[in-house]
Amino acid sequence: MAIQKILIPYNFTQIDQKAIDFVIETFSHLRDIEVGVFNAYTAAPEIETDASLITGKLKSSLSYLSQKILEKGTELDSVKQKLILSGFTESRIETIFKPRKKDIASEIIQLALDRKYDVIVLNRKHSRATRFFSGSVSHKIVMSLKNTAVCIVS
Amino acid sequence: MSAQEKIDIDLFKVVFRAMAQSDNLEIMANHLTQLLVAALEIKGCTIFALNPESEELEVLASFGLSMNYVNKGPVLSDKSITDTFNGKPTVIRDVANTRHLQYPEDAKKEKIGAIVSIPIKFYGKVIGALRLYHHELWDVSEKDVDSLFVLAENIGLAMTYTRVLKAIKTIKYTVDDIHGLWLLEEQ
Repeated sequence: MAIQKILIPYNFTQIDQKAIDFVIETFSHLRDIEVGVFNAYTAAPEIETDASLITGKLKSSLSYLSQKILEKGTELDSVKQKLILSGFTESRIETIFKPRKKDIASEIIQLALDRKYDVIVLNRKHSRATRFFSGSVSHKIVMSLKNTAVCIVS
Repeated sequence: MSAQEKIDIDLFKVVFRAMAQSDNLEIMANHLTQLLVAALEIKGCTIFALNPESEELEVLASFGLSMNYVNKGPVLSDKSITDTFNGKPTVIRDVANTRHLQYPEDAKKEKIGAIVSIPIKFYGKVIGALRLYHHELWDVSEKDVDSLFVLAENIGLAMTYTRVLKAIKTIKYTVDDIHGLWLLEEQ
């Protein structure tokens, strides 16, 4: 059997944990599985260097915040550990932590195409207002990808 | 802490440039929360969108707060700092001495000392809230509250603009999808 590649977009919330639990329950007994745990973070904004005192101070505060943001990436390792303890092979689990350049759905679609994932496990929050303003991630992914199974944990 | 003014024209320039440079609402909102946390040296900042049906505040972007606190439970507009939804900014100088919070225990656990809540309006209607969280007591100046109010109005404009842009793009995709044959055009 060919290796099945599963992508789990992860944003450190309880509902993301449900998606991980779903993957463990459904796929951990299978041998030829590769898992990618993915988080796209918003990097701190770059501000123009300016002689002003406030922007100089702001720049140093933002560089401290950037470090804090990057530290968040290590939290993906705990998800990897959970998957290993549930029976997945360590060498077949990859954590992907990268800055986002576009909307989250486009980041997931790009990654799925680049690395040829077979399955994407998404979660869906009941957030009607935020969906109204920023759009539905799951809808965009389902409409954009071909030959990819999309599971939605709600 | 004295009521020292922290928001000046230089900070406004940085914040509005960050808003103008992004065509994505989530990235823009995340940058705003990061900039406000860094500039005001506070614990965290959250931008909420108001669900008018359930009257819940939904998190659009947040920075500096723990995921446990952000996901503590539904934030209801009639229980959590209600004045915001009457269109008024609210300053809770000391969270230990207030009845305005829906989850006071969670705020204590998160080590939040003070909260400022500003309505995000569009055409006079409240469509969300901008909340800033300080780790200690906070005597925010009136001028800074006014400045945050102006910033929140611009967030309201940006939210509405990106929504309209999204609607136009959807119309464009739909129109692009129409085959000439279905319009009885000659092939």
